[in-house]
Amino acid sequence: MASVKLTNVKKIYGKDTVAVQDFNLDIADKEFIVFVGPSGCGKSTTLRMIAGLEDISEGTVEIDGVVVNDLQPRDRDIAMVFQNYALYPHLTVFENMAFSLRLKNAPQDEVYEKVVNAAEVLGITEYLTRKPRALSGGQRQRVAIGRAMVRDSKVFLMDEPLSNLDAKLRNQMRAEIILLRKKIDTTFIYVTHDQTEAMTLGDRIVIMKDGFIQQVGTPTEVFDMPVNLFVAEFIGAPKMNTFKTGLICEDGKYFVTPYGAKIEITGKKAEMLKEKNVQSGEIILGVRPEHFVLADQDNPAAIPCKIVVNEMMGSELHLHVVEENGDKLIVRIPTVSLEDEERKELVYGKTIYVTFESKVMHFFDKETEQNLLV
Amino acid sequence: MANTTDNKLKRKGMGAKASRRLSNFVIYVILILITVIWLFPFFGIVMESFKIDTQAMDGELFPKQWGFDNYIRLFKETDFIKWFINTAIMGVATAVFQTFFVLAMSYTLSRLRFKGRKALMNLMLILGMFPGFLTMILIYKVFSDLGLTMQMAPVGLVIVYCASSGMGYYVSKGFFDTIPKTLDEAARVDGATRWQVFYKVIMPLSGSIIIYTILMGFMAPWGDFMMASYIIHENSAGMSVAVGMYEWLSKTMLNSHYTMFCAAGVVVAIPVVAVFLALQKYYVEGVTGGAVKG
Repeated sequence: MASVKLTNVKKIYGKDTVAVQDFNLDIADKEFIVFVGPSGCGKSTTLRMIAGLEDISEGTVEIDGVVVNDLQPRDRDIAMVFQNYALYPHLTVFENMAFSLRLKNAPQDEVYEKVVNAAEVLGITEYLTRKPRALSGGQRQRVAIGRAMVRDSKVFLMDEPLSNLDAKLRNQMRAEIILLRKKIDTTFIYVTHDQTEAMTLGDRIVIMKDGFIQQVGTPTEVFDMPVNLFVAEFIGAPKMNTFKTGLICEDGKYFVTPYGAKIEITGKKAEMLKEKNVQSGEIILGVRPEHFVLADQDNPAAIPCKIVVNEMMGSELHLHVVEENGDKLIVRIPTVSLEDEERKELVYGKTIYVTFESKVMHFFDKETEQNLLV
Repeated sequence: MANTTDNKLKRKGMGAKASRRLSNFVIYVILILITVIWLFPFFGIVMESFKIDTQAMDGELFPKQWGFDNYIRLFKETDFIKWFINTAIMGVATAVFQTFFVLAMSYTLSRLRFKGRKALMNLMLILGMFPGFLTMILIYKVFSDLGLTMQMAPVGLVIVYCASSGMGYYVSKGFFDTIPKTLDEAARVDGATRWQVFYKVIMPLSGSIIIYTILMGFMAPWGDFMMASYIIHENSAGMSVAVGMYEWLSKTMLNSHYTMFCAAGVVVAIPVVAVFLALQKYYVEGVTGGAVKG
């Protein structure tokens, strides 16, 4: 149980390959932090620097107020779960989990108690005498988590622990990690490229790109108020629709004009635009697929578009549509909101009319791609 | 129509089967021939060693009279036992030290990243291309100054066999490279030092490569003649089997010692074969199964 503080952390490989830049983050005690981003964004490198598996080129990493830059991994009091499990193949499950305790010369009773307890929590008691090769992927991952659990360490690091599992098992393990977190109650740092894992697991999410932190915030914050276009498109699936559009400020009223439609911005978003004194001009507008609604043809706010792909997901319909200018959009419609007749009409080639409300709009600067309201 | 096509296909299938059999037959005949050619000298030596009617090369493959006379003479009338013990001690010592050096070197080159690593590996590759006997005179000079020749030759020779053995890192480094690095990392996070990682995690997974290295080390002194003959330098007390036995092949001794030479050859083969058979069962493959996703 400990806080972790990263100050101006930088990682340079070789002479000038920069993997992580200006990384500043305060992680509170018992917080669950998720580093998320596309591959090559530096999230794993940052985690490995905290673990001590990579040298820190610049800056400091503190665990519980102690600078650990020059400490070996074994002196940092951390536990880590690896993407490919990294179980010791020559040892049984029991010995795999007991490995760290044996290195500390812990008494036999303590080793037994801790390993059996962890095995019970993870539901792997019956496999304790097996070798890793006789286990399935999900079981191996549990052993790897168990091995980290018995250490009672200050910080629990997880490097894409679920990405080697199949989709069903991944969902199951994700739920188990949430439960596990309540039982272990320590500081977690979790790395993933999957935004769903990030959203569901994290108290706070750190979104990274090209070695830079883009945004740090709670799942709700990053979803509702992404600081830039990258975050907006990265968080949420299917990704946010973004398109260039005009923003008009007339007599204190704001309008957007996507694809010939004219939609008045009302409510809180209008106030915020006023507050920031945003002027008329071309902007990038973002609307999440689930925030589109079907509209009548004669609605001045309706955008006509043609269905090119119709994905029936069960509870909802994903419609890939092409707007008259050729822009591709994704529209997500809950199936319960549609009558059978209506649903049957949403097929390839059909023209539909969609619109959206003010409160779901996101406004980004055309040049800097920053959120205009942040 | 359909019927004829079927028959055609059937005949074609049978033809394929027959031709496969023929090619298998040819391959086996060739392999058996090679085996015979390869084993023949060994067989000849064993046969020679049991001859009691002659002590010279007589051109016959099988003995006219069988017996153990050559072996009895070998142990009673010569210093062979002394040479054999010398060589065995050298073999064990070389196996122990060389295995340690080679594995430590290979693991280091496989896992640690330090300045000059590539350069060092290239240097060793180039050095390894020079035949060892280029340095023979220099080694002899140094060792004779240090008193490591003549009766102390076994010690000197072990140093020679082990000193540069780390340069033979290629095979074991290649093996270590196949063991996932995350195992090392997991162990280091679990609290292991580099040394503990090496002997608690990597060594247990490296059975086959350890056996290979031990065998290479153990066999070196039994087969080395050139370096040994210089360092031992006609001192019977420090002789190895290769140097000792060589004397029997001289013009004056060949006719009275040939069959005994063969008997000694058989005896020399015993420990090497025995060590190999004893270690073979540890030659387990696929030990890394289940370590990481696979």
